[in-house]
Amino acid sequence: MDKDKLAVLAVSESGFIFDPVTGHSYTANATGLKILELLKAGKEPDEIRSVLLDEYDSTEDEVSVDINDFIENLKKYFLI
Amino acid sequence: MKITVAVSGINTIDNPGPGAGICRALKESGMDVRTIGLAYDALEPGIYLDHIIDKSYIMPYPSGSREAFIERIKDIHSRESIDVIISALDAELPIYMDIEPVLKDIGIKMLIPSKEMFRLRDKLRLKELAEKIGVKAPEYMSCTSLADLHNAVNELGFPCMVKGPFYEAYKANSPGEAEGYFGKIAAAWGYPIIVQKFIQGDEYDVIGCGDGNGNDIGVFAIRKMTITKLGKVWNAVSIRNEKLIEATKRVVKGLSWRGGFEFEVLLEDKTQEIYVLEINPRFPAWVYFPAGCGINLPARMVQLLTGQDYDTHSDYKSGKLMIRYTNELVKDISDFEQISTFGETSEKGE
Repeated sequence: MDKDKLAVLAVSESGFIFDPVTGHSYTANATGLKILELLKAGKEPDEIRSVLLDEYDSTEDEVSVDINDFIENLKKYFLI
Repeated sequence: MKITVAVSGINTIDNPGPGAGICRALKESGMDVRTIGLAYDALEPGIYLDHIIDKSYIMPYPSGSREAFIERIKDIHSRESIDVIISALDAELPIYMDIEPVLKDIGIKMLIPSKEMFRLRDKLRLKELAEKIGVKAPEYMSCTSLADLHNAVNELGFPCMVKGPFYEAYKANSPGEAEGYFGKIAAAWGYPIIVQKFIQGDEYDVIGCGDGNGNDIGVFAIRKMTITKLGKVWNAVSIRNEKLIEATKRVVKGLSWRGGFEFEVLLEDKTQEIYVLEINPRFPAWVYFPAGCGINLPARMVQLLTGQDYDTHSDYKSGKLMIRYTNELVKDISDFEQISTFGETSEKGE
């Protein structure tokens, strides 16, 4: 995971993400925004899973899939 | 100190010249500046932009007589006492490179590249340039016939880019498409047509200005968000890509670049490697965008040439958006009469 890249990403409360290195912008839903905020705060996927399980009415498997999918998408777009 | 700056490329049309943006940047710089528009046609919109261009003159075409060109500048200079000329059109740069010493003798300063610098950034010498500045260049072949085109597409494969000598570029997916674009571009812009290997990625531009001694006096990078059919930037966002900024500084240092420029590159999706596409030897049409973000390159250029203090920093914010738009002016036919009959506009207020 490219932590330097993660650190410079501009993320607004609305879920709008701006990558100042490439100029690309993206929109994340509330769950994606939460995961991204936690990643930016230096949390590992296991810690993020615990936070989401506390906040959302979902199973551990569902939350794990969401987190992994979202991280894969961030990698695909060179955001982490 | 009042400075008089003459600026060309005031054709703010669908294929816009940089002149109006340069004049706007100068007017907003805080300098006491008089702007003179150098036009080639009585309907160049800049002639009618009284709020940023104080007076305009019609020039003889740069492809015509060198003597007539010099005489016209001397004539304008005798009335305007021009301190600096900012040339903003590719087509006139060769003549300005020729006559710069003559202009210097009469007190007109310019910051433009030498013939050697101009030659090094030629589209057909990209590989050499790329090696010099430590970036990549897409493979390409220059074509002046259909036989050349067939050879090039066999060599480079599909998809490939078919590009004109000045403007227009199309992605071709088959021999039929490539032939169609080849004919279309040749009819509009002539030869050579460049066939380039297609690289999947995004296009970026960096504007800058070199002092001729290997130093830049400011650079500013953007991602093109939308472009016109001719490949001109229409909307853009400012970015901070240190790899790209460093590559741009290597261009300035490696070529000892003198004057404004636009460094056009592509960042490959897979690798984020920089591929140089072109270096334009003048400010681009979006020159006002960096000025609006604190990097006023036309003003810095004028300050450098006239012995004033000038900034060299490139401290700007990423995420600033440039939205270009079209607009209409309502003028009187007498304004057109004035410029088309006398070759110059009236003084403001006359």
